[in-house]
Amino acid sequence: MTTATGSSHANAWRRRGDMTLRIVAAVPLGYGVSSLWAMALARLLPGDRAEAAVAATLVAFALCAGAAMWAFAARSGWRAFWTLALAGILAGSLTWMSISASGRL
Amino acid sequence: MSKSFRQSQSFLHTWSGLLLGWVLFVIFVAGTMAFWREGLNRWMRPEVARIEQPYTVLAGAQRFLQSKALDAKGWSIAMPNERVAGAQVYWQPQPKPGKDEGRRGRRGRRDNQALIGADGLPTIARETRGGDFFYRFHFDLHYMPVIWARWLVGVAALAMLVAILSGIVTHKKIFKDFFTLRRAKGQRSWLDGHNATAVLTLPFHLMITYTGLVTLMAMLMPWAVVANYADPDALYDQLFPRFEAQERTGMPMPLTDIGGVVRDAERRLDGPVGSINVAEPGDAAATITVTRAASTMLSSRTPSLTYRGTDGALLWQSPAPGGASVTAGAMIGLHAGRFADYGLRWLYFLCGIGGTLMVASGLVLWTVKRREKLPDPERPHFGFRLVEWLNIAVVGGFPLGIAAMFWANRLLPLALKGRADWEILALFIAWGLALVAASGLRATRAWVVLLGATGALLATIPVYNLWATPRGLVATAMQGDFVLAGIDCALVVVGAGFLATAWRVASYRPAPKRARKRPTAAAQATTPGLQVMEPAE
Repeated sequence: MTTATGSSHANAWRRRGDMTLRIVAAVPLGYGVSSLWAMALARLLPGDRAEAAVAATLVAFALCAGAAMWAFAARSGWRAFWTLALAGILAGSLTWMSISASGRL
Repeated sequence: MSKSFRQSQSFLHTWSGLLLGWVLFVIFVAGTMAFWREGLNRWMRPEVARIEQPYTVLAGAQRFLQSKALDAKGWSIAMPNERVAGAQVYWQPQPKPGKDEGRRGRRGRRDNQALIGADGLPTIARETRGGDFFYRFHFDLHYMPVIWARWLVGVAALAMLVAILSGIVTHKKIFKDFFTLRRAKGQRSWLDGHNATAVLTLPFHLMITYTGLVTLMAMLMPWAVVANYADPDALYDQLFPRFEAQERTGMPMPLTDIGGVVRDAERRLDGPVGSINVAEPGDAAATITVTRAASTMLSSRTPSLTYRGTDGALLWQSPAPGGASVTAGAMIGLHAGRFADYGLRWLYFLCGIGGTLMVASGLVLWTVKRREKLPDPERPHFGFRLVEWLNIAVVGGFPLGIAAMFWANRLLPLALKGRADWEILALFIAWGLALVAASGLRATRAWVVLLGATGALLATIPVYNLWATPRGLVATAMQGDFVLAGIDCALVVVGAGFLATAWRVASYRPAPKRARKRPTAAAQATTPGLQVMEPAE
């Protein structure tokens, strides 16, 4: 009996932890990742800098919504968290390399 | 789409929709009304006649400003046309020496404005914010710092985007559901109503939400600009080019006829003019900048021309914007709908009502769905009570506030000091009373009282207009002023809708609980679509 209630308690806590991870991945992390991709796109899109910045911003809101949906669609909260973090690190590195190579206006 | 993906989005849909649902509701209501901003500006100033001859009014505006503020730093004239309530003119006095004038001039220009009526003479209208109130409220809300309000509105818009996209995923049989409206079937009907209002105007909802985010993009998502620019102002100078203002020479020179400049600008810009700005009038360095009206072009990035003030020679024209900039401008233009003629304007309005009903029915659905599962429906838990209370206070209360504001616009004494603020206060007082009603009455009774009062107040204003103002429905229809006539008709129709809803709620008798429970459970077992709708709790 004690083990049964113990494991159901553990399950409840695991579910809560999973949900918390998903919410963190969806809201603050999702915004952060889409912001970093907006920066990376602004650097990488061809053509005029102003145009690239505007175009990247226009796309960023779709990325933001996509990140929130992925945070709940992923198999686990942990998986949602690390995939999004990885995407953010990738965009951040691209931005950093691009800025250190050619600077800002 | 796999079943698990659909279920995973259900939680997201429920909670992203609920948490900011009440904010979204007031944003949707105010935004829907703001499509008639100019019409409401006129409707709320019934003493101002419609402008028939724009150039006469423009000449009157120039005459007035020359006599009143010839040595001003600048004038601004809203180009008169038949849509606006008189030509609004502003002037900005010369800055006092030694005082910093701030970035874009000072805000307190309340004392430096006048309204030029249809006869070209300054006129006095009742003090009111008119339709502009709803336009500002849509993104600035009220009684709070603008920047907080815009963040709140921006976050709500992002939540809305997520709610719409996850909602599309959640509703498996989206188009089939759309054609099934089961009436008077409790939860199922609420769900059908929510689906119908959502799907019917789905392209509009997606468009309006995304473009709404774009209107706030500089605040919500500044990071792409940060990546490219050390000084963001450099970008804004490129995106919104302006003619470099010239120093005042101190040599007086008369200003040329603004009407002639505007006629030339309308030819060159290939469309009507929206606003006219004069810098350093009465001086040899005077310039006149004319901007095209947003009413006939999709993009909100309206081109402008600058003329020399003394002889009307063209000095400067704004460069053509780039592709991404035009895209952003077109998105903002789509959102505001300024380009829309009256037919399209009505479509915008109806879609806005559809969106309002979608948000409201979604909020109510949250409670309807959970009520039957409550352990003790007589004593629901705190979360349930809170949602139900907020639903009544906001969905029932805000429209009541608007109805009260319209009546205040008609009834407050014209000489009242701070009259425009009193109108707004009337909205919030009525809303506060709705809050009290939501707290003190049983839910059903509170709904009936609020919906009924709103309906009665809205539907009777046009009757009052008939005998107390020169712009009753008969007069406006005879004059062919179909905007004002349309507003009166819409008030009657919307008011009747509120009354009918109140009557439905009052006469609703839930089926005995035991008899209803079983078929619902059976239906759930046989229709997988319904199970999918359950939030993953």
